[in-house]
Amino acid sequence: MRSGGNKQKQSVSRRDFLKTSGVVAGAAGLAPALSAPFVSTAMADTKTLTILQWSHFVPAYDTWFDKFAKDWGEKNHIAVTVDHINEADIPARAAAEASARAGHDIFGWNGGASGAHLYRKFLIPVTNLVESTEKKFGKATIIGTQIGFNPDDKSWSAFPDFYINYPTMYRKSMWDEIGIKPDTWDDVRIGGAKLKKKGHPVGTSLGHSNDPNTTWRGFLWSYGGAVQDKAGKRVVLNSKETIEAVKSVTALYKEAMTSEVLSWDDSSNNRYLDSGISSLILNPISAYRTAQQINKKLADDIFVAKPPKGPAGRLMGAAAGFYGIWKFAKNKEGAIEFLKYYADHWPEAFKASEGYNNPCFANIVPKPMPILSNDPTSNPTDKLSVLQSSDEWSAAPGYPGPAAPAVDEVYNDFVICDMMSKAATGQMSAEDSVKWATQQCEAIFKKWAGKA
Amino acid sequence: MAVIAESARLAVKPVSRFRFILDRRDVLGSIFIAPAILYVLLLVGVPFLLAVYYSVSAYTLYDPTWRFVGLANFEQIIQNPVFLETLGNTFLFTFGSNLLGLIMGKFGALLLLRPFPGRKIVRALIILPWAVPIALATIAWEWMFDSLYSVINWTLIALGIVTRDDAPNWLGSPHLAMLCIIIINAWRFFPFAIVIFLAGITAVPQDVIDAATVDGAGFWRRNYQIILPMILPIVAIGLIFGIVFTFTDLSIVFLLTNGGPSGATSVLGFEGFQVGIASGDVAHGAAISLFMLPVLLIVVIGMLRFIRRREI
Repeated sequence: MRSGGNKQKQSVSRRDFLKTSGVVAGAAGLAPALSAPFVSTAMADTKTLTILQWSHFVPAYDTWFDKFAKDWGEKNHIAVTVDHINEADIPARAAAEASARAGHDIFGWNGGASGAHLYRKFLIPVTNLVESTEKKFGKATIIGTQIGFNPDDKSWSAFPDFYINYPTMYRKSMWDEIGIKPDTWDDVRIGGAKLKKKGHPVGTSLGHSNDPNTTWRGFLWSYGGAVQDKAGKRVVLNSKETIEAVKSVTALYKEAMTSEVLSWDDSSNNRYLDSGISSLILNPISAYRTAQQINKKLADDIFVAKPPKGPAGRLMGAAAGFYGIWKFAKNKEGAIEFLKYYADHWPEAFKASEGYNNPCFANIVPKPMPILSNDPTSNPTDKLSVLQSSDEWSAAPGYPGPAAPAVDEVYNDFVICDMMSKAATGQMSAEDSVKWATQQCEAIFKKWAGKA
Repeated sequence: MAVIAESARLAVKPVSRFRFILDRRDVLGSIFIAPAILYVLLLVGVPFLLAVYYSVSAYTLYDPTWRFVGLANFEQIIQNPVFLETLGNTFLFTFGSNLLGLIMGKFGALLLLRPFPGRKIVRALIILPWAVPIALATIAWEWMFDSLYSVINWTLIALGIVTRDDAPNWLGSPHLAMLCIIIINAWRFFPFAIVIFLAGITAVPQDVIDAATVDGAGFWRRNYQIILPMILPIVAIGLIFGIVFTFTDLSIVFLLTNGGPSGATSVLGFEGFQVGIASGDVAHGAAISLFMLPVLLIVVIGMLRFIRRREI
């Protein structure tokens, strides 16, 4: 039996508490410092390479890439770590790493408008790497050049990795029934109007997300309009071609689409097609791949075609991916060597992405391309073959100029999407909405002119 | 014996000055409060000062310069009509959702004051909207407002109230989209409002209510002429929290509408993020974000003065 005095002795006094917690906190704080010499000696024997990139829409790609990177690391006695984050989190993460001047060695950007230009001062030039890749695999494509090449000093800030194309996906049986092939934007409008009456509208988002930003830029280019000139110095949006494009979008919206498209995100048009409602969408092939998994009969009826042609030609937006090496990277040499090795094995990456990642160098995946030329899961097996030449009709935002920071902000502010939707919904006339968008673009370009 | 020996040993041991310092309440109090102050200074104060400096500099991710440009960034953003629309949206979103949240909170509190079976469980469950991570909640709401699979529209169509062609385009119509984000934020805020109202109402002395009842005051008069004026200071404190959190929030808009359709739901927090982080123009992004500061200061000071005058 304990006495009362003992009890008192065992209670923790304020001083004891402070003393004990102080010792614990001190020990915890000093532990890394005390163990550092031993740890750093062990670490010195193993070099590291850290990579950050998006979580791919095709999960098998991430599995392949992680193993590929690890195998390369083992061969070269480098511990490689690959981190994957959501595509939407990439801009914030890049900004954080650049501001802190600390983070991964290789940073993989993708989606959105941004080329490497915004982060140019934080990235080491990879001109030799790109030029040696061009020597082996042919010239970089339009998109590759837009996102990585600096016209002012002819250097490369980033290694162009891939782009995601936006072909037409349409229900063949429906379009056959009305006797129209959706080859031009006029075909899409006229045929779409007929199919809308049958309950199968065209579905292209007019909301705020990547898909409409990409699709309506393509529409604008195919009518001869553009946000900026080739040099990327001047806003050229206010033109009769742009006004004509906006009028055509208005007609397309009113005749062949429903107001649902105003609220859509990037997955909505996929669901619209895969639910069996829509007769046509413009989207990466993920919508078709999902249909293959959930409804084989529907998937067999979905055909893939080049994006529709406009009065000025056939051109569509695309989302591009590229790798940059930070100036503050701890293993710059390792990063360059890894990217060289990666470029040499790019066809494997292409296969792992199931044809989703398209090449940024002319001959890096020789034609006929695997999967796209002969996809055993598709019926017919050459259904995706038109995508082999998608570099001829794909461009990144900023076309015909580079994907500069001002272009990026126009994209992130959804100016082109709003220009189209304001006219389509009757909030503004086509002329006024073009004028409004031009003012927005000019203000953004003026702001960046002194900076970039 | 051992205790006596120990006491003797302690008696001869010189006492350190540090021991006496720790015995002083003011010193010990400062030591305990120091981590909290340090936390606020490092994680709120320093970023805030940094944001102030960014807003008057030319700092971008393209050109990370600290060149001072005065108020040029503020001038530029004020001249943009889209920014003024965004400012208007922010006010509408903030005050609309807080007003709706307060009304729902008041009625919720009145209902939860009455005894009924399972009241404790309901009181616990009602906190859920406030406790659920906003990202998860917004995704659930997104499906409810989805153009193709909206459960709300499905119900309206099933009841024969609307046809599929006439069904509300919740996130596609500018006014409805604003209403949607207001509803979601009010849904998120109202459990907090309930807690505030419950705390206030239960603090009102019962004899005051009894006296009013004896004098013939009915339900509405008791609630709106006696209880509400007495609990206004505590409600105002809750409202300050609600306004500050909503005015600076970007999560609902970011997850649900991305500012669309046609910019109808763009708010300051979202616009600041898009310009400052997504587009890399940190200086303008900071200026847009700091626009909230004077507005919030005026609101908070006004409400605190009101509370001081109403204190009983």
